[in-house]
Amino acid sequence: MLELVFVIPFLIGIVAFFSPVMMGRILLVATGIIEFALACMAAWTTRLPAATFYFTAAPEGCLVLLVTTFLFLIIGLYTLFYLVETDMPREHVFNGCLLLFLGAMAMVAVSDHLVVLWVAIEATTLTSAPLILLYHSKGSLEATWKYVLICSVGIALALLGTFFITLAMEHGSINVPLTFSSLQEVAGGMDALWLKAGFIFIMVGYGTKMGLAPMHTWLPDAHGESPSPVSALLSGALLNCAFLGIFKSYAILHAAGMAQWAGSMLVGFGLFSMLIAGVFMMIQKDYKRLFAYSSIENMGIIAVGTGLGGLAGLGAMVHLVHHSLLKAALFLSTGNILFGYGTKEIGKVGGMAGLLPMTFIGFTCGFAGISGFPPFGLFVSELLILFGAFKNHSFFTAAAFILLLILIFAGISKHFIRMAFAGRDAKLIREERLGRIFPVFILLAASILLSLWLPEPLRRTILDAISRI
Amino acid sequence: MGHVDIVLSLIFLSILMSLGSSRLLELIRVMSFQGVLVSLVPVLIEPQYQTMSLAVAFASLMLLIKGVLIPLMIWFALRKVSIRREVEPLIGYHASLFAGLAMILFSVFISSRLQVVDRPESTLLLPCAITTIGAGFFLLMTRRKAITQIIGYLILENGIYLTGTALAGQMQTHYVVEFGILLDLLVGVMIMGIILHRINSTYDDIDTTFLKQLKG
Repeated sequence: MLELVFVIPFLIGIVAFFSPVMMGRILLVATGIIEFALACMAAWTTRLPAATFYFTAAPEGCLVLLVTTFLFLIIGLYTLFYLVETDMPREHVFNGCLLLFLGAMAMVAVSDHLVVLWVAIEATTLTSAPLILLYHSKGSLEATWKYVLICSVGIALALLGTFFITLAMEHGSINVPLTFSSLQEVAGGMDALWLKAGFIFIMVGYGTKMGLAPMHTWLPDAHGESPSPVSALLSGALLNCAFLGIFKSYAILHAAGMAQWAGSMLVGFGLFSMLIAGVFMMIQKDYKRLFAYSSIENMGIIAVGTGLGGLAGLGAMVHLVHHSLLKAALFLSTGNILFGYGTKEIGKVGGMAGLLPMTFIGFTCGFAGISGFPPFGLFVSELLILFGAFKNHSFFTAAAFILLLILIFAGISKHFIRMAFAGRDAKLIREERLGRIFPVFILLAASILLSLWLPEPLRRTILDAISRI
Repeated sequence: MGHVDIVLSLIFLSILMSLGSSRLLELIRVMSFQGVLVSLVPVLIEPQYQTMSLAVAFASLMLLIKGVLIPLMIWFALRKVSIRREVEPLIGYHASLFAGLAMILFSVFISSRLQVVDRPESTLLLPCAITTIGAGFFLLMTRRKAITQIIGYLILENGIYLTGTALAGQMQTHYVVEFGILLDLLVGVMIMGIILHRINSTYDDIDTTFLKQLKG
């Protein structure tokens, strides 16, 4: 039964609310293992859902599910050691919400009905909000308020877009279930105008959640103010879920023969996100916000790749996988840096190479990966997107893409060098511990491994996913 | 048929009241009133639904959540807050009322232009839905107290629900799915209430202009 993949974390999450702290921590890791196993089973073999009307194991969903559950497992291991050293207020709420959050994301990955997908995406907002709010600071309070209000309003627009799509069906006298898989088959008969209107609203709505500029304003605050494991999950897993909503809707428009129009919209939003992220990264003073802007940039790259289609579409999917792995590794590293120096300001962190050598190695590899150096996977994916752009004769897009990547690299490396080497007067308040560092290395190793060798089932899942666009 | 138009006119009235009132308690009351009306619309518009027990049961559940539970939750949050009035909105009350009237005119114009499925039951439904969405956004943008912004969000949600009723009809109705939407709304308001409480205990006010620390 496919539904187990989100029912199990929901149930265990409720148990974790009422269980002692130690048991909650063990439940986190145990659920991570179970979920990753279930995700592999869903992707490798065909698992049929019990409610075929609402859920399905679509290839793009399986890919997101695999990434999400793998990240959760590794972040769960990190959290074990993280929680020992922090005094998290009301930790049972933290553990419970983390599990519920995983359940909501798994539900997004397997849902097929348009409104069920909407319900699941809204549920991810609601289950992750307490995770940001738990720290008692003015910053986290403001971040949570913005996160909940902006995302709820944004996602409400996506619901409006969903209603427009039902209207497009009614105008075309089509009577099929309101699911992505059945709409794809009848897309040609739907009313073009209302379908376009629906896509615009869905794009803006889920785009808010995905962090596309100019709807991204909540993202740097939420990612910057939440505890590091939560930042890693938000950035590595949640943004992909919102992208899934846009991707599935785009597939309907593609089937209806409007790929050109919808694709250029995706490319436009994507390039604009990269521009905004690049500019704001230059002037950042807080390293967690720096990587939050980097997430906006990478979501922009994925949108550009999806919009171009073909080879670039393959690039977008590969980018999604590797961005999640590398960005989670970076956010976990920022957690270690925060432990070490006790500040989030770039200017007060320095001499990391000497003071925190292990963290430094992980952080440097993460930096190299996120900037697109080989052997990490983003090198392959960004190259694929560029080739795709040239193949489509979208020379303007390709040129803008290259220029923006340079801008972003300049911004991120300026801060990286400052943090790693300069400022030798910085003082440590806590030593690094192996328990908080090995998850970072697992994530980095996974990215290297996957860029050298893609397991056959995973390769097939990726190819199946992009066969729709 | 007549019933629907009466209910829809009352929704128009509730929109104008929400735009013109400065007292937060009154706003909550107006929102509860509007929640009740909105839950009645789908049952009234398709007479055959009045005989279907499932449809009636769902409408009463929605009435309970939108008309009673959610307003109660916000009222509880407000009880601990000393602020009773919205002060200095970005756009004044008289101007807001005028904007509301303009929105009604505009949405009647838009609805007459859109080629949507004919709904002979009521020509007011779509204009009403669009006005409600507009008013929700208006409150979200021009009011400063966190509580008024929550109410703006709820009015926006009401408007989207009405649009769904107007456009999609009952063809795609699945009560399981709609219940999911309702549950999300309920939990969402609960979490917003908790944040509201926290804002109040941190700043001793619920003004969102305090929330301007995080920049860049």
